[in-house]
Amino acid sequence: MVMDKLSNSLQDALKKLVGAGRIDERTVNDVVKDIQRALLQSDVNVKMVMQLSKSIKERALDEDVPQGMNPREHVIRIVYEELMKIVGEGTDIPLKPQKIMMIGLQGSGKTTTTAKLARYFQRKGLKPAVVCADTFRPGAYQQLKTLCESLSVPFYGEEGNPDAVGIVERGLAEIDKYDVKIIDTAGRHSLENDLIDEMERIHAISSPDYKLLVLDAGIGQQASEQAKAFNDSVGISGVVISKLDGTAKGGGAMSAVAATDSSIAFIGVGETPEDLEKFEADRFISRLLGMGDLRSLMEKA
Amino acid sequence: VFEREFILDEADVEDILWELEMSLLESDIAISVSEKIVNDVKQELVGSRKKIGSNTSKIVEDALKKSINDVMSANVFDFDEFIDSHEKPVNIVFVGINGTGKTTSIAKIAHRLKAMNKSVVIAAGDTFRAGAIDQIAVHAERIGVKLIKHQEGGDPAAVVYDAVQYAKAHDSDVVLSDTAGRMHTNVNLMAQLQKICRVSAPDLVLFVDEAVAGNDAVERAEQFNEAVPVDGSILTKTDADSKGGAAISIAYITGKPIVFLGLGQEYEDLKKFDPQWFVDQIFS
Ligand SMILES: Nc1nc2c(ncn2[C@@H]2O[C@H](COP(=O)(O)OP(=O)(O)OP(=O)(O)O)[C@@H](O)[C@H]2O)c(=O)[nH]1
Ligand SMILES: Nc1nc2c(ncn2[C@@H]2O[C@H](COP(=O)(O)OP(=O)(O)OP(=O)(O)O)[C@@H](O)[C@H]2O)c(=O)[nH]1
Ligand SMILES: [Mg+2]
Ligand SMILES: [Mg+2]
Repeated sequence: MVMDKLSNSLQDALKKLVGAGRIDERTVNDVVKDIQRALLQSDVNVKMVMQLSKSIKERALDEDVPQGMNPREHVIRIVYEELMKIVGEGTDIPLKPQKIMMIGLQGSGKTTTTAKLARYFQRKGLKPAVVCADTFRPGAYQQLKTLCESLSVPFYGEEGNPDAVGIVERGLAEIDKYDVKIIDTAGRHSLENDLIDEMERIHAISSPDYKLLVLDAGIGQQASEQAKAFNDSVGISGVVISKLDGTAKGGGAMSAVAATDSSIAFIGVGETPEDLEKFEADRFISRLLGMGDLRSLMEKA
Repeated sequence: VFEREFILDEADVEDILWELEMSLLESDIAISVSEKIVNDVKQELVGSRKKIGSNTSKIVEDALKKSINDVMSANVFDFDEFIDSHEKPVNIVFVGINGTGKTTSIAKIAHRLKAMNKSVVIAAGDTFRAGAIDQIAVHAERIGVKLIKHQEGGDPAAVVYDAVQYAKAHDSDVVLSDTAGRMHTNVNLMAQLQKICRVSAPDLVLFVDEAVAGNDAVERAEQFNEAVPVDGSILTKTDADSKGGAAISIAYITGKPIVFLGLGQEYEDLKKFDPQWFVDQIFS
């Protein structure tokens, strides 16, 4: 079955505005509807999309079109600014000694991202080391150990011991002399009380500088609820969006940062430890809307 | 008896349908699918005659429920009957994008089959991801079923082929073949998946995706179905998202049944898909 490809319909809608000399309500309504659709298709929270489209519409009609801009550019600029308000510039994880705790739902990409981060700091000349606090998933210890060995990054874990909190305590002591200490934890979701409790205890014993929530680019409307639960429990310092190398747009991650007042630090774009990139708000928003030319347009403004 | 009737027009149903469409989106039914379902219901309702005094909201909601139920009940699939009625060994290959729960679902199904007194062989067909062989080996040992594995980095098609040969030689009932998670956009990895299916000629290919998935479920279900194709799907992690509208997106796009739901991380956390139960969840 062929579904109409969204980016085209949005581009088409915005083309309608090119010809228009001035902005009228009907044209703006049309365009805002298409933007709404683009954001919903990208998994931005439904209620948030409704609020956003309301403010975009109001601004597009109220504000004067700046000199040298056509109505189309005017509307895109407003959309861009509204999305920027939510996404922000992203979290900057400093290049200095620190402790990082990885958290997130099952299968979101925590363990892979742990290896990616170790690689990232290693490339920047810092000495990373890793603790495996996932005592739950079969093979979790072996997975992280293999990844660390391939990078020659020191690894601490206790295969077969279910006491994650104890492992973290001993592990952190063991890797004390390293610059960046990364703790990988088991996957969990907001309704698993025992696991949420375990996460809080790991958090209490390790007092990490950063708590990074790893979110799958493909997550839907659950993103904000889940992020809120993690935030209420241990606090989120930043988000990593994994699996952006597929077709998912990551609108869930945007909803998550809006719901927790945090921001995005990195994106994952593949399965190897090299596949990590710094988050760039421009590119992310362009992708969310299915448009390629936002940055140049903003420069023109 | 002549009943007094009126004809529903677009204005009568527009607002109600909009509200309902928003709730479908909030349940994670992809927008393309939600729009299609809602439009079909609209076409069906507009111009139809209703008794005066009947509740329009209820008429619209019932029509929508019925429409979703139709999507979900098309091609219901009886897994147990399928196993019993097929020539041994029944080879089932599990496919999907990264981290959705393929390996865990295999473990759950192996556990279930064992309880039904079936002999099971698992093929450790994910030779790529770090720790993947260890992970499935732990499951196989805990459940007490045979595992066929090669080295990490080996040819997955050869592993699955060997598992089927082993099952034939030992008169086993079922082969459950794991594969590495892969992005539907990765041409080489999708070609590899096609090779696995060519070499081992599975009786059933199950696409595994998760309840927390949003709109992308459509894209990946479509791509996997085109590449392989798939015979049915499993929706995991429904314990994290009670709505799980992704199941509707997937069923709608593939036209294939949802076979099982995953409800947690334990072996017992697997449930046969029940359309009526599912539709009730969506509208609860
Ligand atoms: N294509 C792609 N795959 C990824 C990315 N990040 C992780 N993965 C894959 O996603 C799957 C799950 O990754 P893991 O790192 O094991 O996820 P996790 O969050 O540690 O999982 P649990 O520990 O079970 O909760 C694996 O197949 C990874 O290779 C990414 O950026 N792109
Ligand atoms: N809560 C919950 N977790 C699940 C369910 N099914 C799987 N998981 C968890 O999800 C994570 C990933 O599961 P896997 O079975 O490794 O997923 P996969 O698709 O084989 O992953 P790759 O092989 O890396 O692509 C693990 O932590 C599982 O325990 C489920 O139904 N509910
Ligand atoms: Mg992990
Ligand atoms: Mg697997």
